[in-house]
Amino acid sequence: MNEAGRDRLAATTLLAPATVLAVLMLLAPLALLARYSLNKFDPTELMIAALTLQNYTRFFSDPYYLGVLVTTVRVTAIVTAACLLIGVPMAWRLARTQSRWKSAFVVALILPLFIGSVTRTAGWMILFSRGGMIDIASRAILGVQGLDLMYTETAVILGIISINLPFTILTLQSVFEGIDPRLEEAAASMGAAPGARFRRVIMPLAMPGVLIAGALCFILSMNAFATPLLLGGPRFQMMGPLLYWEFSNNNNWPFAGVLAFVLMGTTLGLTALANVAVPRRYRPA
Amino acid sequence: MGKMNGVSVHLSRRTVLGGAAALAAPALLGRAAWADERCVVGTWGGDYARLLRENIDDPILKKQGVEVVQTVADETPRVAQVFAQKALPRGTLDIACVGAPNGYRMAAAGLLETLDETKVPNLKHVIPVLHNGAFMPDQFVPHIYSVQGIAYNPKTVQTPPKSWTDLLDPKWKGKVGMLATAGTWIMQGAALAVGGNPDDFDKAKEYLLKLNANGLRVYAETDDMAPAFKSGEIEVGVVWLARTVMWQNADFPVAGLVPEEGAIIYISGMVMPKNAPDKQAAYKYMNALLEPSAQQGFAAHMGYIPTVNDADLTGKTAQQLALPENAKLVQSDYAKVAALTPELNDWWLKNILRK
Repeated sequence: MNEAGRDRLAATTLLAPATVLAVLMLLAPLALLARYSLNKFDPTELMIAALTLQNYTRFFSDPYYLGVLVTTVRVTAIVTAACLLIGVPMAWRLARTQSRWKSAFVVALILPLFIGSVTRTAGWMILFSRGGMIDIASRAILGVQGLDLMYTETAVILGIISINLPFTILTLQSVFEGIDPRLEEAAASMGAAPGARFRRVIMPLAMPGVLIAGALCFILSMNAFATPLLLGGPRFQMMGPLLYWEFSNNNNWPFAGVLAFVLMGTTLGLTALANVAVPRRYRPA
Repeated sequence: MGKMNGVSVHLSRRTVLGGAAALAAPALLGRAAWADERCVVGTWGGDYARLLRENIDDPILKKQGVEVVQTVADETPRVAQVFAQKALPRGTLDIACVGAPNGYRMAAAGLLETLDETKVPNLKHVIPVLHNGAFMPDQFVPHIYSVQGIAYNPKTVQTPPKSWTDLLDPKWKGKVGMLATAGTWIMQGAALAVGGNPDDFDKAKEYLLKLNANGLRVYAETDDMAPAFKSGEIEVGVVWLARTVMWQNADFPVAGLVPEEGAIIYISGMVMPKNAPDKQAAYKYMNALLEPSAQQGFAAHMGYIPTVNDADLTGKTAQQLALPENAKLVQSDYAKVAALTPELNDWWLKNILRK
């Protein structure tokens, strides 16, 4: 056996367990769910085997469900844009800093990830709720009728940003670390101002990483469950909580399956679209 | 259709086997040395599971040589599990704890054992309001129950609303709270109040749209309502009266009353699937849950009312759980609600919960 053949064999051997696991744990349940989504639902007999697209038709012909999908995409778009706008400068600064506090900054960034998202959201609830800190502060300082942020889209957006931002910054930081600082020095030596250096040299090189960070943030936000449920309240619907509502209140597995696939399809589709929308040379390898 | 149903069961059965195997894991480990029989009980977790252990499993069944194994899950997956195991000669649960609506669904699907009354002597003590045809208590044994009542903050409300109609009063604008996931129950309560019949849903919808326009507040979890009463966000609401008792015991300013128009009752109970692996143990369990001592234990800690006539309450519990003598208490029309649930939930989601 030649060397290339041995390498291939080694690669196959190493990949096999992960592949088998992924197929068993991820694809098999998905296939099952896909099958369920084609079944019929009956309120008394629950799921009846069938091959019908009526559950999909129901979703796409009902303005209510389409509205929930639009809300989900809108919230996600705002969250992703905000995470990148805040995250890029922070990550770049973090990557370039010579401060001896650098590792402390990184730890401070990671620290919130040690707390579960539900616990963090509970903190936001204390902040946002009636008689909460923001409410009291706005009364004391502005003298206005309290600021009721709880159960608003703004609260949900702030909550998801707080969860996604560390992921975005950590991803971006490693991207910026990988860009040779001498390139900036070279640009500077040719007279490029700091803004131009960042725009013309750093960002094009970082673009593939920015896309990955954006996609990560996008996927996390599209599938958010606890934050919209707790901060958005029962009158605010995103796809994740709606899916659970259908499953837990109506025991309607076929339609919950449809919601899951629409959510997954939209997430994958839009992520792929973002990838195609940028020039080829900026795409991740 | 029949054939399709057969296929459906087959399909779902396979899928649930994995989960069922995991749930049944304790059953594979062998009985405790002291036990002659084992009863596998599918239940909610938390306080309910703990109270089952403290009031039924340990003090009553242990002495009878029955080891109780709890498998904890939410109600919806538990119901799906029993449905999915329909065609199995031997299921994994001896007892499943469910609310009456799901109990009815299972009974209607032919999944439940009709109990032999000689093996559950305590069945004769079940109070009349909890009888319902062949279904209750012979297939669904009522364990605890509560009444859908009007809750209010006694510190701020001098004259509490006495009826659902009172809740429409503009003075309660933005001050009425309800539970978001209780849509079908609220619609039944409203139907009873404004239509005189718990399934007059057209009248109920008309009423609820008015209430919603008057600034109805909805909460994701029942327990979110207690702090809302405390902070003054709401002053009145519709909840199961058991909750008001629990909140009182936790020092929240809440009192409850039965609305003048009558009230729907919520019954939580236990069923024995036809394919229960150990029916003798399940029979002993059914009888034990109706024992006065077990019933009194639950009443004192959960605020639900005993379902039998021989579990007298005393002191504070008796005071808190007392109902007005002439209160009109009505059971759900389970058959109708079972068929309409998705439709009612859909209406509730799109008309009340929508901003």
